[in-house]
Amino acid sequence: MPRHIIRLLLLMAAFGGAAYAAMAFFTADSFYKYGHYRGNSVAEIASDKPKYKGATYCDSCHAERFAEWSKGVHNRPDRGKVLVGCETCHGAAGGRDTTGMFQHAASGADHPNNLKLAVPAEPAKLCTHCHERIVGRPAQQPQIVVADHAGTQQCTVCHNAHSPRLGLVVAAAPASSRSDASVGKVKAVMCTGCHGADGVSENLPGPSLAGQKESYLVEALTAYSTGARSNPMMNAAAQAVSIEDSANIAAYFAGLKCESTLNHEKQVASAAQATVSKCIACHGANGISANRSWPNLVGLSKNYLIDALRAYREGARKNAIMAGIVSNLSDAHIEEAAAYYANTTCR
Amino acid sequence: METEEQLEKQQRERRNFLSCLGSAVACGAAAVMAGTVLSRATAAVRAAVTGGPTRPAIPGYDWTKHRWAFGVDATKCIGCLRCVEACKRENDVPADAHHFRTWVERYVYLEGEETARVDSQADPVNIAASGSEGEYRFADRYKDAKVEKAFFVPKLCNQCTNPACVQVCPTGATYRTEDGVVLIDHAYCIGCQYCVQACPYGARYFNAEKGVSDKCTWCYHRITKGLQPACVEVCPVGARIFGDREDPQSPINQFIRDNQVQVLKRETGNSPNVFYVGIDKEVS
Repeated sequence: MPRHIIRLLLLMAAFGGAAYAAMAFFTADSFYKYGHYRGNSVAEIASDKPKYKGATYCDSCHAERFAEWSKGVHNRPDRGKVLVGCETCHGAAGGRDTTGMFQHAASGADHPNNLKLAVPAEPAKLCTHCHERIVGRPAQQPQIVVADHAGTQQCTVCHNAHSPRLGLVVAAAPASSRSDASVGKVKAVMCTGCHGADGVSENLPGPSLAGQKESYLVEALTAYSTGARSNPMMNAAAQAVSIEDSANIAAYFAGLKCESTLNHEKQVASAAQATVSKCIACHGANGISANRSWPNLVGLSKNYLIDALRAYREGARKNAIMAGIVSNLSDAHIEEAAAYYANTTCR
Repeated sequence: METEEQLEKQQRERRNFLSCLGSAVACGAAAVMAGTVLSRATAAVRAAVTGGPTRPAIPGYDWTKHRWAFGVDATKCIGCLRCVEACKRENDVPADAHHFRTWVERYVYLEGEETARVDSQADPVNIAASGSEGEYRFADRYKDAKVEKAFFVPKLCNQCTNPACVQVCPTGATYRTEDGVVLIDHAYCIGCQYCVQACPYGARYFNAEKGVSDKCTWCYHRITKGLQPACVEVCPVGARIFGDREDPQSPINQFIRDNQVQVLKRETGNSPNVFYVGIDKEVS
């Protein structure tokens, strides 16, 4: 073979060898394993730790909240999948979270080891992400114009964030399904002295009970028997009544007739409408509330109502919804509101 | 005036030079070809010899048994942007509003106007409404205008079957897995952003902190563990659907069966795998 051809071939072999060496050196081991990419990166990417754990992760420690949430409207996976999970509002339970509204320790560990997940400081900022009326939101989404709905109030004053629909609130003392009004009637004989025959009290020491919401009556009797509500007569009376009898008595009074007759002659002056409209939203214009969690205000004396409002304002009676509403009511406002409802009688 | 000898010498030198050049080019080409063939051959031989697993070492997961797909129901989206926030937390995306792996667009048709007005959470008006760059919220715009029609459209990487981004990557840093997800190898990416330009959907972005291009991965680290992507997990109204097309009962197959679905920019030939319901002529 001619020498120049040999030289050429040797040169080509040298170049080929150098190229091969360079390729082998610079290319990662797992390249070309599955295709034109580094095969090991697939497993590397897949091994990242998930940060969102899902709602059931929270159940083990927060069972009560979880139960509340599961029965509420934020958990309706069947109906067009509405599912506002815990982490949607509280942030991811796993790993680091240093962005957005919720900041907690960037430790890489999962909650609870990386301390508490934030309870949203301003519900009104959070809830309105989904529930503020803006252009583009489909009609099936419950939405409000914030200024008209709640003004500057926080959402949680009225709504339980975990079970937000009003009326699905579980009453403090569960109204027994075994409660028997006929048994209650017998036991309630001792109540009529102060609360009137048929539960209608006009000028008697105690307020009217006829047609009052059953769960509210049970809650009241329980509060009197534990001393949470203080009234010497009622404290003694409530302690003499068993839990079962409370339920029966409540069922009896709840079943009695009470139709409100708003006394038009004593209509409140228009100046007081602003105050009263706050009450009417829940307790009704005629004192009969639409929701079984909110007590009727019909047939109560003005003094009784004033005492009740003051007790809520000072905290002697504890109720989250009432506390928020009456917290900045002046004595004059209280009297206006009481005067309005004192005009309603129960027949 | 040059002598004949000098002319001949010039010719000889010219010929020498040209033949050297020619053989250098030939050698170079041969070398490259030889090198490529050899390294591919040895890799194949090595794989055959070791007989190792032909799928990635992901515990409890076989990528040949899944074919992932995504669905978006734009009739349900309420524009709450929980998905954008959740994705950022899950995937360590830079916090400011202009970096996102998934985003939501709002299309508003005002009365008398033929084309929609489009904005997203990265719009300055919406950033101002949210209060900070790290929080996301749509401003209550157009509330005083006469709006004929308006809706939200969530968008994300379409994980195309014939992705333009994979085709243009010079290093092989981005690729498509057997189960249908397009991933990015951050160790190999040189940050040239050719893929960011190539994607017709605008799904990719450049992460300046890491110096690499990045995009939605359908939370590959979650779906290979049987979880759902973070955006699907937090969506409160079920506007995002995810599932395995190999499973006839999966949510995505039901979604595709029960609805008339379409994809975005079908004419670009990328064969996207995100199926939309309820979008409009202007959405692309």
